[in-house]
Amino acid sequence: MSTPTLGLDCDVIVVGGGPAGSCAALVAARAGLDVVLIERGPFPGSKNMYGGVVYPRILDSLIPEWWLEAPIQRWVTRRSTMLLTDTQAMTVDFRSEAWGRPPYNGATAFRPDWDFWLAGHAEAAGAQILTSTTVTGLIRDASGAVVGVHTDRPDGDLRARVVIACDGVNSFLAKEAGLYTHTDAKHFTLGVKETLALPEEVIDERFNVRDRQGVDIEILGGTSGVNGGGFIYTNLDTLAVGVVLKLPALAAQKARPEDIIATLKAHPAIAPLVQGAELKEYSAHVIPEAGLEMMPKMTMPGMLVAGDAAALCLAAGIWLEGVNFAMASGMYAGEAVIEAIKAGDLGSKGLAGYERRLRDTFVLRDHRKLRRAPKLVLSDRVQHLYPAMVANTVERMFRVDNPAPKPGVRRILREERKRAGVKLSDLARDGWNGFRSFG
Amino acid sequence: MTIGSIVACLKWVAHPGEPNDERFAGMSPADQSALEFALQQGAAMGVGVVAVTVGPAGAERVLRDALACGVARAVRIHSARPMQSDDVAAAIAAVIPDATWVWCGDYSLDRGSGSVPAFLAGRLAAQQALGIISVSRSADGVIEATRRLDGGRRELLSVAAPAVVSVEGATAHLRRAGLAALRAAGKAPIEVVQSSTPAAPYDAVVHPYRPRARALAAPAGDAALDRLRALTDAGAAVSARGEQVTLEPAAAAAKIVDALKSWGYLA
Amino acid sequence: MIAVVVVRSGQLPAGAAEAVAECDGRAMLVGTGTVEAAAGLAGVSAEVACAELGDAPLATGGAGVFRPAALAAALAGLLADEPMVVLPASPDGRDLAPRLAALLHRPLWAGAVQVTEARVDLARNGSTELHRVSPGAAFVATLQPGVRGVAVAAGAAAPAIVQVAVNLGDLFEIDAKVTEVLPPDPATIDLAEAERIVGGGAGLDSTERMAQLSRVGLALGASMGATRVVTDRGWAPHARQIGTTGVVIDPDLYLAFGISGAVQHTSGLGNPQHIISVNTDGHCPMMQLADLAITADANATLAELETLLSSGAGS
Ligand SMILES: Cc1cc2nc3c(=O)[nH]c(=O)nc-3n(C[C@H](O)[C@H](O)[C@H](O)COP(=O)(O)OP(=O)(O)OC[C@H]3O[C@@H](n4cnc5c(N)ncnc54)[C@H](O)[C@@H]3O)c2cc1C
Ligand SMILES: Cc1cc2nc3c(=O)[nH]c(=O)nc-3n(C[C@H](O)[C@H](O)[C@H](O)COP(=O)(O)OP(=O)(O)OC[C@H]3O[C@@H](n4cnc5c(N)ncnc54)[C@H](O)[C@@H]3O)c2cc1C
Ligand SMILES: Nc1ncnc2c1ncn2[C@@H]1O[C@H](COP(=O)(O)O)[C@@H](O)[C@H]1O
Repeated sequence: MSTPTLGLDCDVIVVGGGPAGSCAALVAARAGLDVVLIERGPFPGSKNMYGGVVYPRILDSLIPEWWLEAPIQRWVTRRSTMLLTDTQAMTVDFRSEAWGRPPYNGATAFRPDWDFWLAGHAEAAGAQILTSTTVTGLIRDASGAVVGVHTDRPDGDLRARVVIACDGVNSFLAKEAGLYTHTDAKHFTLGVKETLALPEEVIDERFNVRDRQGVDIEILGGTSGVNGGGFIYTNLDTLAVGVVLKLPALAAQKARPEDIIATLKAHPAIAPLVQGAELKEYSAHVIPEAGLEMMPKMTMPGMLVAGDAAALCLAAGIWLEGVNFAMASGMYAGEAVIEAIKAGDLGSKGLAGYERRLRDTFVLRDHRKLRRAPKLVLSDRVQHLYPAMVANTVERMFRVDNPAPKPGVRRILREERKRAGVKLSDLARDGWNGFRSFG
Repeated sequence: MTIGSIVACLKWVAHPGEPNDERFAGMSPADQSALEFALQQGAAMGVGVVAVTVGPAGAERVLRDALACGVARAVRIHSARPMQSDDVAAAIAAVIPDATWVWCGDYSLDRGSGSVPAFLAGRLAAQQALGIISVSRSADGVIEATRRLDGGRRELLSVAAPAVVSVEGATAHLRRAGLAALRAAGKAPIEVVQSSTPAAPYDAVVHPYRPRARALAAPAGDAALDRLRALTDAGAAVSARGEQVTLEPAAAAAKIVDALKSWGYLA
Repeated sequence: MIAVVVVRSGQLPAGAAEAVAECDGRAMLVGTGTVEAAAGLAGVSAEVACAELGDAPLATGGAGVFRPAALAAALAGLLADEPMVVLPASPDGRDLAPRLAALLHRPLWAGAVQVTEARVDLARNGSTELHRVSPGAAFVATLQPGVRGVAVAAGAAAPAIVQVAVNLGDLFEIDAKVTEVLPPDPATIDLAEAERIVGGGAGLDSTERMAQLSRVGLALGASMGATRVVTDRGWAPHARQIGTTGVVIDPDLYLAFGISGAVQHTSGLGNPQHIISVNTDGHCPMMQLADLAITADANATLAELETLLSSGAGS
């Protein structure tokens, strides 16, 4: 471990023991830097929540064969996208055995387990983890550069060459540093989730899986008219059932999230899946949803921002990925810090390697690709008009009205589009946007 | 091994809300109070405090917390399995034979029986003051303490060293460790000793708790139905059992006082 | 099995009769006023051994003062031929039992809910688990008060008394010195022990109102308790919460102000002899339970009550 320069307590302070923070600390500590990770909870991950699916391939280089030791619940081998109206459901279902074998694709995992496990690797690499400690402010030098943090402990100041802020959504550090120039309630969604207990065999049977295989269902519609979406994930012997709701829409409708989940659970396509399950936990959290549109400046002299703190979560309808983005950005922040310390430049130029890495990898590329997706998926048309239009179209395609002959699909489409009140020009534009985003 | 004179006995216990998750385990509120009293006394006497725990390696967590709060030494007596109270006391007594003041929690949160402190007092030939709810220290090294008796009574004790004092949770608020101390505690050495006393096995068959059927005095009433009602309260909550009135506040207050007088609660 | 019960000034501790009943009536009372206390075991025991220490003033540290180490030493000799000893888990019983077990070289089964010669059930992990152990041929156990109850036929005769000589000796320095015994104070008494309780619910309007409730309580010799809504608001400490996730109480008198009477609350109320409820909603469950249900504003009523009680109406 290197000895920090005089007047400093350590080389690197990482704030936040979520996936971003632990990966940043792990990378920096492995390079021999003196790293302190500060977490406000009693242990890393203790209070962290999310929907439930993590995509860990980014760990291939950091923790080879991570799948042998990672605390996962089930391997996702089935992905469904469900379109709901009040009485109808259309599901596109995909399953792959390949996703149930190394190197795997997605897995369900509990955040307290996942985050604690990752933090354990950071600690084993030599990072010191201080828990039950909250960072309350930044220490800056005369030039404005960040040189440490204040904490809520007695004699709580800690000085370092660089601070990596991984303090999650609504990052108080990034805001204090002035890195966010424009944030707004409309940039956020509220994620609300219930954890429901069912025996392992019942889940296997209802979701048509076995041997730790799991299912990821993303749902469009079914959110009681509040713009948003839903999800169901299978853990070993619990289900995560939740909704992601647009904040302004939620406020405007004065709807209660727990009622929306209750309505979703009562939907004829969902009810048989959750029937008889016992509620174990209810939790809620804000998600940065607006992608590129809301991202802050990623660095300033003496500080970098990673993970949700930098709004790097990818939340675009049928995608809900944040943990992988957090792990990756934390890792790249760690690498950039090593580079900068070697070069002896912790100013904007020295830290530029961070943004370069983000730009060159999926972290920002996926965001750029999907930059129109959140708006599209949460738009009123996609939310309120298209599900009924599609479901009615499909219903008529498969309905056998003998003696009436089957109508042509084109005619049904035209009639249903009109009935739903969708303009052809809007449909064409949304289709094109969708194709550019998801295609 | 002989260790100096102020000791805090700290047990690593599961969090009651998360009994199967070691990550939430730590010091009980009672042990936190004990540690705080020990630290205050140590500061007043100019003596370093020794923290002792009996437990597996994970129990070092409470010792690190204690080190961060300012204890001078930390000793873990290794024991992979839970031990009987007398054996815990024997193991602790063996490493602190010359202790003058031993601070314990009144109950450990998990298996707790509140008996380790008394066993320890026996082994150390020390005075005991158990279930203490407040402490005021007097000048000559004697401790004045208040203890809970039943029926809401209190007992004031004057305790002289050597003594074992067990305190209730929330009788003192454990100080918050400073940042530098917390960092140092993470790296501080912890002495680990093997218990020399052979521990008796604890063989219990564990069942979910069900209250035992309670014996009751035979109820009054001639008819079987009345006796049944008296025993089960059947019907009591269904219909109002007493007088119902609507009153202005002043009249309501007067009505309450009248009722209390007629029932004999007020003269 | 024999029950050993520490008696102070003729008063049996909590759980004394239950411990004696658990031992089929075999009992030894030790302390001060033992003969007087034995009368309280009518119907539970036919014959009681009384080891009287005699009352002596506190100040002298005399024979009558509770001295667990000295008492254990004195009793160890007397109980050598009693392989199975049960004490109530009252404060004095809990103090004495480990010292006794240590001197008798027997295991201690502390906090039992049932004790038989072949089997002891212990409440563990905050009374969520029952640990069943084979206690061995000789042991000391403490029995939790309130777990078994006693059935006493009305009009049972007081037990016969057998006097036993016991000498605590003069090794005073092995025990802490009792300097004073204070009477119960409703402001600090454990809710579980309180005989009169005033409860406050969400119908009360402020933390100041809760303070007023406490003062009214003091004037009535009653302790303050609250519903979870109130403790969640931080208007009363959690130790004052009555109910399934708080304290289970068993008072004679309960006064409910602005409490709806949710089952999580009422299931912790025990079986009060008298209940008064003040609520603006005459039909809520708490009003149905009350002996006197007053439909009124609880806040104004409390204010009036405080004035009334301080003007001497209550004394
Ligand atoms: C309902 C919902 C469902 C989601 N579903 C998924 C999903 O299925 N898959 C997926 O990949 N992502 C999902 N996400 C997104 C994902 O949870 C986040 O993107 C991810 O957690 C970001 O990780 P992080 O390390 O940046 O921040 P966090 O996980 O939020 O960690 C921040 C850490 O910093 C600590 N902290 C904060 N402030 C301070 C301070 N001042 N001092 C000290 N410590 C501090 C916190 O305690 C916390 O441990 C979901 C999010 C929500 C809300
Ligand atoms: C798992 C669980 C455990 C729980 N454990 C407990 C527990 O241990 N203890 C507990 O108490 N609760 C507990 N609760 C909560 C319980 O269900 C109730 O919510 C709670 O007891 C209600 O408290 P309250 O009567 O003060 O409030 P409310 O139910 O809101 O009732 C307020 C009452 O005040 C009356 N009121 C309003 N204004 C006035 C006025 N000006 N004058 C007079 N009356 C007025 C109203 O008519 C109403 O009857 C628990 C709940 C859960 C789910
Ligand atoms: N294993 C242990 N290690 C250290 N102290 C203990 C241990 N067990 C009990 N104690 C102390 O004894 C007190 C009462 O515990 P118990 O007798 O188990 O209820 C605790 O609060 C601790 O102070």
